[in-house]
Formats: sequence, C-alpha cells, structure tokens
Amino acid sequence: MVNSEASRLVLRKDVAELKRLAGWIEGFTQERTSPDVSFAVQLCLEEAVANIIMYGATRDDPLEIAVELERNGENLVARIEDNGRQFDPTRAPPPVSARSLEEAKVGELGIHLMRSFATGMDYERRDGRNRLTLRFVEPPLSAAE
Amino acid sequence: MDISVDDLAGGITKLVLRGRFDTTGAVVVELPFNKIATEKQKIVVDLSAVNFLASYGIRVLLVGAKIVKNNGGNLVILCPDNNVAKVLKTAGMDALIPVHQTEAAAIAALES
Repeated sequence: MVNSEASRLVLRKDVAELKRLAGWIEGFTQERTSPDVSFAVQLCLEEAVANIIMYGATRDDPLEIAVELERNGENLVARIEDNGRQFDPTRAPPPVSARSLEEAKVGELGIHLMRSFATGMDYERRDGRNRLTLRFVEPPLSAAE
Repeated sequence: MDISVDDLAGGITKLVLRGRFDTTGAVVVELPFNKIATEKQKIVVDLSAVNFLASYGIRVLLVGAKIVKNNGGNLVILCPDNNVAKVLKTAGMDALIPVHQTEAAAIAALES
C-alpha cells in the first residue's frame, strides 16, 4: 500500500461512513499532496458523498458508492461512482448570493464549494451509474518556498 | 468535534469549537450551538481550533447567526485558519457574518 499511487474505498448509505471517508483521504494525501490539496480533496469528497448518501437512494437497489484516489504526477484525480438516482452536479445552478443574513438561504452550498476547490469536475452517466471525476492540481511553489 | 462555552465580561459569550466541522462534527454540535444562539445575544464563535469546515458546518453557523439576529443580537466569528477562512469566503459567509482575527476586535465589534 505504501508505494501504491492509487486507492479505492467502497461506502454504504450511512452518514457515519463520512468519518471513514475522511480518515481514508487523510491517509492517502498525507505524504502525497500539500496540506491545501489535501483539504480541497477532503472538502469536495465530503460534499459529493454526503449528497449521494442523503439524496441518491432509489427504491430498486441498495446504494453503493465507490471512491478512488489516484496520484498522477502533479495531479490528484478523485473518482466517485454510485448506482443511485441520476444526478449531474456540473449542471447544478450556482447559488444566489444573499445580501443580508435575513434573506440568506440555508443549504445549497456543497456543489458550489466543490466547483471552487477542485481544479476540474466532469460527470457522465454510464451503465446506470453516476461517475464524477474531480481533478486537483498542486499550486506552483512560490519563490519564498 | 467539541464545543465549550466561556462567559466573558459585558454579557459576551465565547463559543469555542474544536476539531473537524464537517457533517460528522456538525451533527454533534448543532443542538448545543442552537441552544446558545437562542439564549444569548452577543456571541463570539472561536474557530481558531477548527481545522476543517464543510457545508454542514456552514449551515450550523448560518442558522445560529440568523437566530441571534432575530432576537436582536449579534454573532461574530473569530480567527479561522486559512483554509477554513477560504471556505467561509467562497460560501459568501464573510459578507453575512463578520470575521475577526483577534479576540479584542471580535469583542469590540459586539460592544459597539
């Protein structure tokens, strides 16, 4: 495992699984990415998987969620695959920005955070499964470092 | 994640959160957070020991700030770490809930 540059985790439809996901991502990114990329990967996968667990279930099959992380040079690629209801987060409308606390709506921020913290996000529906690919690129080191 | 409460001078309540403010953490602190937001009028939420923030955590902060505002009070955030501050800004929260870098500035904002 130590030398492997890819890892896969299968999760059940249970909010408690998000804790296992966080620990697994931390373990993978700790020695392979900068703390900022590790944070971004943890944030995006938490949002994506929480959405699937909370809204993805259908009546037909038990929900299965598989997450893969792959380190490829300066890129880290995360793939999330699930057999839940069809949902393309890349087509979700951006949130409306509120001008005051009174008019601020609660929720609908997860996908916006994913778009902002991932370098790229692609979706396809294939064989009855949602496949979401997120890419993360290390920022260039500044001259001071 | 854990939550502790400090009563400061001037009727100010400091709410210290520690750990990961993700879905798992937010579920744990949501009820005590809302209870304090309902009972107190001047609240500093200290996020300096929070090392991770996701949308469920933002939801708890936003609901709490709305409750306090509704009761005629104010809630401010103290000292988030860099990435936590970036999440707040990306979510547009920095425009809705004042963020301060020092406790003195947070307290001054509540006293004014």
